[in-house]
Amino acid sequence: MPPIRDKFTIHSKAVVCQDVELKGDITIGAGTIVHPKATIFAIAGPIVIGSGCIIEEGAIIVNRRKEVMRIGDDNLFEIGCRVESPTVGNCNTICTRARVHHTLRISSYCVVGAGVLVVPTEDEMLDEYTVIYGPAAERRVWSGRGKVQEMDLRRKHAEYLREMLPKFNRLRRGDGA
Amino acid sequence: MAPKIEYYCPCLSESPHPPPPNRPSSSYSFHPLHNLFFCEECDAVRCNRCVSVEVSGYYCPNCLFEVPSASVRAEKNRCARNCFLCPNCRNTLTVVPSDPPEDVDSRMSPIVSTTLGEPPFFLYCNHCRWDSAEVGITFEKPTGLAAQLQKFEDSAPESLEFERLKEHFEPFLRASSSSSALPSASSHHVHTNPITAAASSALARDIPGVGKYNPLSRSRVGREKGAHRQEYPDYKSRVEVGTALSGEADVEFLRHLETVSQVAALEQRWTNSWVSPLSASDLKPLRIPLQSKKSKRCPSCRHILIKPEQKAQSVRFKIKLVAANYLPAIAVTLPHAQAAIEMLKRTSKTTSAAAQAEEQQAAGALIAGHSYSFHLAFTNPLYDPIQIRLAKAIAPAQTAEGDEAAERARRSTFQIQLPSAAFPVGAFAEAWEYDDEDEAMFLDDDGMEVVEARGKKGKDGRGKTRSVGIVEKRANVTIVSGEVLIPKEARGDVKFNMLVSYTYRSDDPEPSEEAQTGTPSRSHGANKGPEMKNFSFYTVVDLGSIMYREEPKLTADL
Repeated sequence: MPPIRDKFTIHSKAVVCQDVELKGDITIGAGTIVHPKATIFAIAGPIVIGSGCIIEEGAIIVNRRKEVMRIGDDNLFEIGCRVESPTVGNCNTICTRARVHHTLRISSYCVVGAGVLVVPTEDEMLDEYTVIYGPAAERRVWSGRGKVQEMDLRRKHAEYLREMLPKFNRLRRGDGA
Repeated sequence: MAPKIEYYCPCLSESPHPPPPNRPSSSYSFHPLHNLFFCEECDAVRCNRCVSVEVSGYYCPNCLFEVPSASVRAEKNRCARNCFLCPNCRNTLTVVPSDPPEDVDSRMSPIVSTTLGEPPFFLYCNHCRWDSAEVGITFEKPTGLAAQLQKFEDSAPESLEFERLKEHFEPFLRASSSSSALPSASSHHVHTNPITAAASSALARDIPGVGKYNPLSRSRVGREKGAHRQEYPDYKSRVEVGTALSGEADVEFLRHLETVSQVAALEQRWTNSWVSPLSASDLKPLRIPLQSKKSKRCPSCRHILIKPEQKAQSVRFKIKLVAANYLPAIAVTLPHAQAAIEMLKRTSKTTSAAAQAEEQQAAGALIAGHSYSFHLAFTNPLYDPIQIRLAKAIAPAQTAEGDEAAERARRSTFQIQLPSAAFPVGAFAEAWEYDDEDEAMFLDDDGMEVVEARGKKGKDGRGKTRSVGIVEKRANVTIVSGEVLIPKEARGDVKFNMLVSYTYRSDDPEPSEEAQTGTPSRSHGANKGPEMKNFSFYTVVDLGSIMYREEPKLTADL
């Protein structure tokens, strides 16, 4: 296995804390916030993260496939979640301690509930506005009502973090070697 | 399976002896210590099965509003304020405003909206993202939802039917209840609402075979009731009963089902009082059912054992007579299992959690043909030292099969050896009052013999210390060890009943104030000098199952 060469391309407006474990070829877009103690491992292939995402503590984003793992804009990865999905769209919410397998592709406006383990046996693409909840990972389709307010809230959340995090945490700047 | 110990509650039975522990039915009489209460008047252990429970108050689990019992009946056991249950996942619903109208450049629109939000408001579940607009329920104002929803509820066919029934029977109820009551009480009856009148006349109904008890004027009532009975006209229901309940619509719906998830699940439907629709998309939000705070009483002397506080958000109790404050807590461990687990932990590197659990189970196994020692740790909750004496409970005579069979049975069951002498356990005191963890504190236990206690701190007692006696004495905890000998033919679980009796000896003779603090039995008069009070209870000790010697031991790959 070829050794993992670190290559980080972090936008100047992104806020990435010093304590984050990054490995491999990672691109982080504008306005994205990565909390301390998050983990982004691009082991086999590169990871591209869009703008406005919030990756909280303990979140683990792993790419074990050779293809590029693309994460869209305005996503929220809550504390302790683990995402291996090769495609994540925009405006999704992966709640606390949820685990998403690499066979699942997530489109936009989806919500994976807290603690949910989503392991489909074969490759699957979630429709837009799907909500997965409950211990048995039941699904239903959200009507989309309230999404404007939710995106509003997320932008406010990101703005607040962008202001507060640098005051209390050291930031990692630029490209790693 | 970790060894455990449970306490026996006689539950007001005549014989104090517990049932033999091997029977599956006897497990209901044994409880862990935290489930038990203690009645000071009767000096007895009470469990959840024998206490009498009564409701001490109702509250809504969401808004934590204490509902007075009069409103409970009126609101049909539901919260009257803005608390609703999501029909999909049974989480609490929140009231949210609708989205503001989208602009063309909605993505970069500035973050602005009125703090109150825009109407129409609707209910929204944060967990499964269900919202009430899917069933068509929206509100104009974010508060006072109950009133706004009242219109919907009142127009449901079931409640309309109920109202009509009440109206129909009301004049007859009034007439019959007013004629059967005393003249002085009749004025009260006129003011009751139809529900109470219906309930009271249901109680006064004729039951065939039982003589009618009527403390009021008898002959007059009999005649009048007979007269009234002929005057009941038939009731015409609003909807034809045949078609409404025939379920035609349900059958049609089921015929056109596409996925199973379209049918409402059982958990979603049974919270509703009325018959709810079959299809999952028709489920309406429910008001949150109220929960009650209960207080518990001793069944024989009616003394209150548990009384919660009135405030809904407080989890404490005004009166809390739990057994843990009176009885010593006992913990049972197998020292050989613990030592094996520690060794495995030190040597194994990266075993998964499941493999570790398996190893722990295998390490604690009791293999037939060996003998093991077990440790019992007694923790004294009283503020004075106690003396504990253990004894094996004598099982009541079982069916005699024959001498040979009985002899074989005796040979194949395990033998238990317990320390026979009484041993002290120190008094409970706050942590900062202990000088040091040495035994110089307990110098007042002079009249006590200790069976030879060779292994002092016997946590690593895998060696030859097989003594039966005190292992360790610390603050208010005393650990004693016993032995279990398992013959080769023994099978099953190692469970035995143990009688624990302890004596409380008050050191300073002040019975007026000290004797009542946590003593298990009442003091007799004002004695000078130390008084001996005695209490005993049965327990069952479960050490685990016996594993056969022939089976290969489950070892992890080290």
